[in-house]
Amino acid sequence: MDDSLSAPSAAGDPPAAGPPSPIAHPLAGPSGPSGPSGPHPLAGHGRSPLRIPVRVRAGFLIPAAVILLGIIIWPAVDSIWLSLHNHDGSKWVGLHNYKTLFSDQATLKALKNNVIWVVCAPTIACALGLMFALLSEKIRWSTAFKAVIFMPMAISFLAAGVIFELVYQQDPNQGVANAVAVGIHDTFAPSSKYPGAHPRTDTAKPAAAGSFTSVKTYTAGSVVQLPLVGIQAAKLPGKAAQAAAPSAAPAPDQIEGTVWLDIIYGGGGTPNHIDTGKKGMPGISVKAIDTATGKSAGSASAHNDGTFTIKGLKPGAGYALEIPASNFAQPYRGIQWLGPSLVTPAIIASYLWIWAGFAMVLIAAGLASIPRELQEAARVDGANERQIFRRITVPLLAPVLLVVLVTQIINVLKVFDLVYVIAPGSTLPDANVLAVHMWSVSFGGGQDQGLGSAIGVFLYILVLPAMYFNIRRLRTEKKEGR
Amino acid sequence: MSVTRPVAVPGQVPLGTRVAKRLTGGALYIIVLVVGVIWLIPTLGLFISSFRKASDITGSGWWTVFTHPAQLTFKDYTDVFSNKGIIQSLWNTVLITVPATALVVLLGSLAAYAFAWIDFRGRDWLFVVVVGLMVVPIQVALLPVAALYRNLHIFGSIVGVVLFHVGFGLPFAIYLLRNFFAAIPRELLEATRMEGGSEWTIFRKVIVPLGLPAIASLAIFQFLWVWNDLLVALVFSNAKTQPLTVALQSNMRQFGSNIDILAPGAFLSLSVPLVVFFAFQRYFVQGLMAGSVKG
Amino acid sequence: MGARSPRFLPAAIAVGLASGLALAGCSSSSSKPAAPGTSESSASSASSAASSSSSAGAGTALPDLSGKSIQVLAEWSGEEQKAFQKVMDAFHAKTHASISYQGAGDQTVTVLKSKLAGGGAPDVALVAQPGAIAQLAQAGQIKPLSDNVLTAIDANYAQGWKTLGTVNGKVYSIMFKAANKSTFWYNTAQFDQAGVQAPKTWDDFVKAAGTLSDAGITPVSVGGADGWTLTDWFENVYLSQAGPEMYDKLAHHQIKWTDPSVSKALTTLKQLFGNDKLMSGGKSGALQIDFNTSVTQTFTAPPKAAMVYEGDFAGSVITSTTKAKLGTDAKFFPFPAAGSLANFVVGGGDAALATNDNPATMAFIQFLASPEAAEAWASAGGFLSPDKNVPLSTYPDDTTKAEAQMLVQAGDNFRFDMSDQAPAGFGGTKGAGEWKDLQDFLNSGDVNAAAAQLEKDAAKETWQ
Repeated sequence: MDDSLSAPSAAGDPPAAGPPSPIAHPLAGPSGPSGPSGPHPLAGHGRSPLRIPVRVRAGFLIPAAVILLGIIIWPAVDSIWLSLHNHDGSKWVGLHNYKTLFSDQATLKALKNNVIWVVCAPTIACALGLMFALLSEKIRWSTAFKAVIFMPMAISFLAAGVIFELVYQQDPNQGVANAVAVGIHDTFAPSSKYPGAHPRTDTAKPAAAGSFTSVKTYTAGSVVQLPLVGIQAAKLPGKAAQAAAPSAAPAPDQIEGTVWLDIIYGGGGTPNHIDTGKKGMPGISVKAIDTATGKSAGSASAHNDGTFTIKGLKPGAGYALEIPASNFAQPYRGIQWLGPSLVTPAIIASYLWIWAGFAMVLIAAGLASIPRELQEAARVDGANERQIFRRITVPLLAPVLLVVLVTQIINVLKVFDLVYVIAPGSTLPDANVLAVHMWSVSFGGGQDQGLGSAIGVFLYILVLPAMYFNIRRLRTEKKEGR
Repeated sequence: MSVTRPVAVPGQVPLGTRVAKRLTGGALYIIVLVVGVIWLIPTLGLFISSFRKASDITGSGWWTVFTHPAQLTFKDYTDVFSNKGIIQSLWNTVLITVPATALVVLLGSLAAYAFAWIDFRGRDWLFVVVVGLMVVPIQVALLPVAALYRNLHIFGSIVGVVLFHVGFGLPFAIYLLRNFFAAIPRELLEATRMEGGSEWTIFRKVIVPLGLPAIASLAIFQFLWVWNDLLVALVFSNAKTQPLTVALQSNMRQFGSNIDILAPGAFLSLSVPLVVFFAFQRYFVQGLMAGSVKG
Repeated sequence: MGARSPRFLPAAIAVGLASGLALAGCSSSSSKPAAPGTSESSASSASSAASSSSSAGAGTALPDLSGKSIQVLAEWSGEEQKAFQKVMDAFHAKTHASISYQGAGDQTVTVLKSKLAGGGAPDVALVAQPGAIAQLAQAGQIKPLSDNVLTAIDANYAQGWKTLGTVNGKVYSIMFKAANKSTFWYNTAQFDQAGVQAPKTWDDFVKAAGTLSDAGITPVSVGGADGWTLTDWFENVYLSQAGPEMYDKLAHHQIKWTDPSVSKALTTLKQLFGNDKLMSGGKSGALQIDFNTSVTQTFTAPPKAAMVYEGDFAGSVITSTTKAKLGTDAKFFPFPAAGSLANFVVGGGDAALATNDNPATMAFIQFLASPEAAEAWASAGGFLSPDKNVPLSTYPDDTTKAEAQMLVQAGDNFRFDMSDQAPAGFGGTKGAGEWKDLQDFLNSGDVNAAAAQLEKDAAKETWQ
């Protein structure tokens, strides 16, 4: 059959012309490798589509058309109309809302995030879906595997949001992501003995990288008192004993001192004084820094009662005492998943968790439709597995992959629930996307239906590229098919 | 059925096996295991949380139950069921979901068939517009449709909720099915036409059986989306017609994380789709996923 | 507090949407707007037994209203609805009027407005948004309260509460159920461990925080991921420093946010917000902690902070999500005074208004303004009355007692939450306006930049 026969009335309207792709086998794409690509032997005898009565065509289309008109098309057109009006629709403002839109930093940020989403999420979702679909064909427990991957699709977005709020909790005792991060970190870098402890500011000052240096300079042969605060008495090691004062007269080449926790459980006591009830801090290391050279001249570790003795110093020389940072380093608290820099990737990850199952199911359905004969034929012709995958499977899957990709792109353009639920208020502006922004503007406080609608219309425009690809594909189908 | 289908040669090795042949068995299973665990852990966390008291949930991570099994309790579930309306709302959910799914599948496949195999003027442009409709956010339609429903006197009724879901389900349904239907071999359709079959016969005897994998996928997606919808039902249902999601929502406290209500709610909500799938496993899981339509 | 719980997206959408519906559907009349979770109940029968306690002579003198019926609209559902039922039962027992209730949750104002426009309006509504009440009063859609009601108010309330319900010189509403947002909660074990007492002034508070920090205890948990908690911090400091008159001016944007009084309050807050050691997780950590977590983490084992500021409702979070007991493990002190004003309360509440001046309508409001009505609910818990004649012994526990006492003592120094009075675009939107600006301030500590940004955002809105 030829063009002129099938679509006489559609001259000059190329996309509307002709019957659709008489593709030889299910899901054959533009580059379907083998199979009959010429006119089918039966084609000439087929009933022309022309002869299908209007009534029949209408019967197929009208029910869907009516519902689409009432539920989506009319509201969409209505939103275009609203976008040209002020906040409550009472006054015509022309393109004013669009001007506001593009001069607003928040919109631009949302647009930028949408671009990140569109570039990353659909492709990764497709890749994961393809990988999972192929993997599951190979393994024995494929049904269970597919059920596990698919399960997130069956959970509501609200629940999914809550699930990922749980996963991304900052506290490693609550959030599983940080529990893992901290677990891994601490395996390689164990935490310090006295995290968070620090001297009172009148005895020592912070030095580089979390260390502390004494305010005064001490000569060898003198005694030093180093009271620390900032950690709970209950967190001292069990061997810590009542702090003791250093001996009154150390040897001339030594500095003796006490490092103790200057806190009594329940309060009380005199600051910077070794009262009864204050304990030494065993194991803290103290360095003597030669004030002349700035180099370390010796170090010691505190005993159970907090006393220490630094030996081998030059009698009469001046030393500053340093308590190195290694004593105090705060425990690793994990990654701030929902902080300003990671919030968008973190939410995209939760999106992939949900939608990889969607891609997998559709791609598996596509794989299921691929006829085996083609692969068998190729194999007989001597093709290896890699060639079969690249030259036959992938091209045959291309239409399905495209469907998944386009659906995902559109889906991602209007992503809303996950961003709104997972992002904390403080980083919502960093994670903002157009659909969330639209909601904030028109419902969530702004109550500006006009501006909100303008963002909606902007979304319609963003979908045009995806529609363009579809038109191109329809045309290619036709060329291939004829 | 007069239709011949590509039939797999008995004893043939599945496609994926060949594709992934270079992966040795052990490595493959490790990958599958790691992926499976990553995918399972978030749900597992919520699942275990649904058996813990709110005070335990906020006090420690869910994994601590493995060392403190005494924390497990059914209290969260009994609390949910103590809400009298919950059974009615579960029934409402069924009343909404089943017709909304059936209608989308039916109307969607009819239209998709027309877009794939019946020629008419402006067809491709119309199709592209339908694709574009997928981008219309639900929020845009809430106000105008509410006004429409008020005039039709179906505001608050189940019909209204169903129609809204059908409307927003159709563009994806048409897009997905049209692409699958268009790939069905032309000669199969022509053969039926030559035998004098009407378009309706072709649709029933050729398109539906061959498009089954896609139709089944669509049915599952649509079913789940409608089943889990909160926003649409929140707006268009009322106290008597509200589905489970809305009923659970109204249980929530104004303050507090509400995980003790949400978690059992999520699994209560999940249980019905799971039961449906296991009951129809032959059709869904094997038929759709493992690809038994192949032969 | 209805406007302020946008944690759950759908509820928030419903609110936003419903107000949109109200805009779009002003002309339509018959059908009810979206009111999910609406529930109805009635006290016309089967309720006499419950109310025998209140018939002990004294009480308010109310007419016999047999055969009359009243419809009441409020936000309460669940437990709160049951408790309010007791109040209605008591009224029924006294007057024999039949009385029915509809709960509309977050959408009370929307439902009220659409019913006023479309007919079938309730006789009495309890509304939490003072701005909405003023609007309705100016539009002439609600009626000034009758002389009998005013007499009851004068007898039972401090003058300030009457002023709160006054629009253009006439009293239109009276608060029945109040919320106290000047309560500062602390973990008693942590305070004991450091030997710290509940502070009375801001200086004491900063000092106590330092002592706690030295003792290795993180002093304060700030829920900075939710912007509204930060607005509450600011309001308490501002009210105490600048005084009620300035507070009212700022609440209506009659002075600018660049006013020195604002900078002073921000500088005060910075003593806490600017010091990483004093907040759980430091600045960046605080910005990741939402309100719920900020409360629970203060009372879990091990606790991550010694104290947390938020209103009386934080108490319900403590009881529902931690093992801590109110009154022993968890106590509160009044928000420390940052300025000369000491007995103050920032808060909110549901105020009763009348849509007509029928005797039955006014009688019910008169009843709500009496101690009897408050007592009927107070004994059930979860209720604070601003009524000074409600004996404290009515409240079920010491914590509630103390909260109620604060409220009554504050008298004329009670102020409605400022951000709740502001346009929602400024005072009630996640990631925008005042919420966002104070989060940025918490992060940067830049007082002048914060004040300038607040003014810039405030200037965008239309203020009443």
